[in-house]
Amino acid sequence: MRKIIELKNITKSFDGEVVLDNISLDIYDNEFMTLLGPSGCGKTTTLRIIAGFEQPDQGEVYFLGEDIAALPPHKRNVNTVFQRYALFPHLNVFENIAFPLREKKVGNAEIQEKVTEMLKLVALTGFEKRSVTSLSGGQQQRVAIARALVSKPKVLLLDEPLAALDLKLRKDMQQELKNIQKATGITFVFVTHDQEEALSMSDTVVVMSEGRIQQIGTPIDIYNEPQNAFVADFIGESNIVNGVMLEDRKVRFSGHVFDCVDIGFGKNEAVDVVIRPEDVDIVPEEKGMLKGTVTSVTFLGVHYEIIVDINGFKWMIQTTDFVDVDERIGIYLEPDAIHIMKKSEYSGMFGDYSSFSNEFDELSDAEAAAEAEEEE
Amino acid sequence: MKPMAKFYTALIMLFLFAPIAILLVFSFNEAKSLSVFSGGSLYWYRELFRDAETLGAVRNTLILAFSASILSTIMGTAAAVGIHRLRSKAMRAAMDTVTNIPMINPDIITGISLMLMFVFVGRLFGAATSLNFWTMLIAHITFCLPYVILQVLPKLQQMDRSLPEAAMDLGCTPVRAFLKVEIPEIMPGIITGLIMAFTLSLDDFVISYFTAGNGFQTLPIRIYNMTKKTVTPKMYALSTIIFFTILALLIMTNLIDTGPGVERPAKDKPERPAARKKARRIALGIGTVLAVGMIAVMVIAAPKKPVLNVYNWGEYISDGSEDSFDTIKGFEEWYLENYGHEVEVNYTTFASNEDMYAKLSSGAVSYDVIVPSDYMIQRMKDEGMLLELNFDNIPNYQYIGESFRGMYYDPDELYTVPYTYNFVGIIWDAEQVDEEDIGDWDLMWNEKYAGDILQFNNSRDAFATAQYKLGLDVNSDNPQEWQAALGELKRQQPLVKSYVMDEVYNMMESGEAAICAYYAGDYFTMLDAAADSVDLQFYTPERTNYFVDAMCIPSCCQNKELAEIFINYMLEKEPAVANAEYICYGCPNSLVYEDEDYAEEMGEEAMEILYPDIERFGELYEAYAYRNLSTEMLDTINTLWEELKIN
Repeated sequence: MRKIIELKNITKSFDGEVVLDNISLDIYDNEFMTLLGPSGCGKTTTLRIIAGFEQPDQGEVYFLGEDIAALPPHKRNVNTVFQRYALFPHLNVFENIAFPLREKKVGNAEIQEKVTEMLKLVALTGFEKRSVTSLSGGQQQRVAIARALVSKPKVLLLDEPLAALDLKLRKDMQQELKNIQKATGITFVFVTHDQEEALSMSDTVVVMSEGRIQQIGTPIDIYNEPQNAFVADFIGESNIVNGVMLEDRKVRFSGHVFDCVDIGFGKNEAVDVVIRPEDVDIVPEEKGMLKGTVTSVTFLGVHYEIIVDINGFKWMIQTTDFVDVDERIGIYLEPDAIHIMKKSEYSGMFGDYSSFSNEFDELSDAEAAAEAEEEE
Repeated sequence: MKPMAKFYTALIMLFLFAPIAILLVFSFNEAKSLSVFSGGSLYWYRELFRDAETLGAVRNTLILAFSASILSTIMGTAAAVGIHRLRSKAMRAAMDTVTNIPMINPDIITGISLMLMFVFVGRLFGAATSLNFWTMLIAHITFCLPYVILQVLPKLQQMDRSLPEAAMDLGCTPVRAFLKVEIPEIMPGIITGLIMAFTLSLDDFVISYFTAGNGFQTLPIRIYNMTKKTVTPKMYALSTIIFFTILALLIMTNLIDTGPGVERPAKDKPERPAARKKARRIALGIGTVLAVGMIAVMVIAAPKKPVLNVYNWGEYISDGSEDSFDTIKGFEEWYLENYGHEVEVNYTTFASNEDMYAKLSSGAVSYDVIVPSDYMIQRMKDEGMLLELNFDNIPNYQYIGESFRGMYYDPDELYTVPYTYNFVGIIWDAEQVDEEDIGDWDLMWNEKYAGDILQFNNSRDAFATAQYKLGLDVNSDNPQEWQAALGELKRQQPLVKSYVMDEVYNMMESGEAAICAYYAGDYFTMLDAAADSVDLQFYTPERTNYFVDAMCIPSCCQNKELAEIFINYMLEKEPAVANAEYICYGCPNSLVYEDEDYAEEMGEEAMEILYPDIERFGELYEAYAYRNLSTEMLDTINTLWEELKIN
């Protein structure tokens, strides 16, 4: 596959605050790439550097092998779909989509043809004469996508384009975006803080935090083989405990030695051990590799989410079996349920559910959303 | 609660619109009266369109409003964009405050400080006159600017910041993105700002008053100066037209503002693309009109012929209205005929000697001919503000009657050519006053007419009535004599209906009061507008106040010979007669008072009142006219006057 965009050692600060810290990233032809991370991680800034709205303090940006650092936005063959669509209110649907073509002095007949084609692609045929202010959020979103695609850019940048939609519409649009990307063969670089969205849509996910790239990989890699505690925690739920690698395929944690599938660590190396809540089997107390007391049970429909206190460390377990609060249970772990990570700066910061409650989780989600708003 | 609210609304409506409704009705009044409506007519509208000076002021006001609003809109929009793009919040707040200063500052301070600056900078560059059209334009832009910014800035803040970025992303250069996306977005703000600036500039008086140069008079200043005499119904017609013009602009602004501004989700409001299109069309229309106005300014501001600046009282020249002779136009034609090239007269008016004096001594303007009153002439002469005339250029001076020459203010006949004279007499309503009671000042002290007598609301004039009655010197520097006069005024006080100045017209015309002391010339004005049930008469007591207004050349004159030619022209028979007939004051020009046509036009009664015994004028004038009093004397008089008014 052909490299379309190459970011090399990009550093960027605003008012002395480092937003991007030595980022390098390759984007390939025909790829659906997602930049994923909490608000303030630098994903939007990365996007704006590719679009040309921001200049990196250090580092280079290559487009098909050519340095485009000095190229203004209107000369770059990339287009952007903005978070709040940025449709031009004084123009109707047709003229909004025709805008980039008119700027390029394309003939009327060709404009007519291309805009019609785009309207068909985003399923808005018949909306030509409508005022964009009269459209629903989803429809405005489609117009924005059509407008960005009409001049056939090499790369489409999407800055949290679904954030303003409600859940149902969002799911539909995710699917539709994926379809449009396949139909047009254009590279999509998609920014989101929603990990589910990232996993379900992307070919490649780039997890970012604090201005650095934490991990690049396919959604499956990212979920199953997180590289550090941050990624493990940010993507899905994880119990992260301290462990010691005794030898290849043998790890000790929580006072017990487990078989695992990981190799290549030093003898007696301290590591982080990740166990996904759905990979834990509940067994009677006497049969358990580890034993603990249930402290809370939450019914979530498909399964229960229970918190178990094992030697003072709170584990989250997802199970379809019903257990009661204060019940003593044992747990059993298959070797491939255990994932070993090297120690990192994030060790010890995540993966303990002792302060966990659903309310708390919602609260922090709301905060993140509010922060994301402010960032714009 | 509900009827209360309705009542309140009705009350507000009443107070807001009743005056305008009355104004509107009276602008169609057939007669001159303020109080009697005697039938509908478009007479005053016709009169308005014949009044060259007022039309000139309208033209000036429009030129100024057009150019000030366009320039301030361009500058204000640019400033708003600049402020909006500032990254630092503190800087933005600071800029906001700075732009608001002219808005919060009292107009009078803005006006004075601007005048001061123009004069100072003008002096720095050695200009003789520093106030002109351009300074006034700068002043108007200064006070319009914050209002434009105030309209445009919120539109920028409401605008989605990613709009210009989206445009650039889609292939626009930053400049094109601004023109194609940002400008249409903030257009409603720009147009509202433009219209606001236009109306603000249109009705500004205070700042214009201080920064107006010679020859460039705006409508509000013109109206102010016209109030020297009574307000003619022409002004009602003009005010009615202005009211409806502003109303139209206001409605237009509202139409534009209700068009959708920023993008809104569909459910919030039904779509209004038609309104938006209409708003844009209106905007286009206004733009075109303004552009045409701008071109007109450029044409008018182009360099021109020699200019004569004349500064006179309001309503103090025959100006072509009511089929009269247009003196200024007449002079311009006469000059072209006799000298072979064109001249332009800038004719500006003032409302009082003190206004005129202040304007001249500010040094910011220059006039070639002024028409002050006698006491002001003496003061200006003493302060070196007048130039000696070259009477070789004013041969018509020979027609000035002997008894009007060599008065106290100009004993050697060096500085002045008398223009008009006038004197105070007693006006009485024969329907209410018995003829046997008239005669001297005693009528104003006659207890029979208690509650029907009007007295001057002005210390010098009021004291004079008592002093003439008692046979005292009106220019006395003996406080005892002034005390005596005060005693006489106190004795009169219970009989006085009220102390009045301009209200005298209305009260006498309607028969509300029966007796007053006022100027002979103004008596004819009252006679014109008096109600049918009133029979006004006039007589002149032996001792009374006389005054003369004379043409002079101030030391700031730029073209003395032209000024003298103008003064000479004013003494020619045709303009002199026309002016005397128009003003209705006494005229010291023998070509006038010996003319039979003039006597016929004025009528026997007027001739008897105005020219009783011309031979004696000099003697009476020297004996009874006011002189300049010392500051201490004026203070004493004011103290005594306050004592009277407190009672």
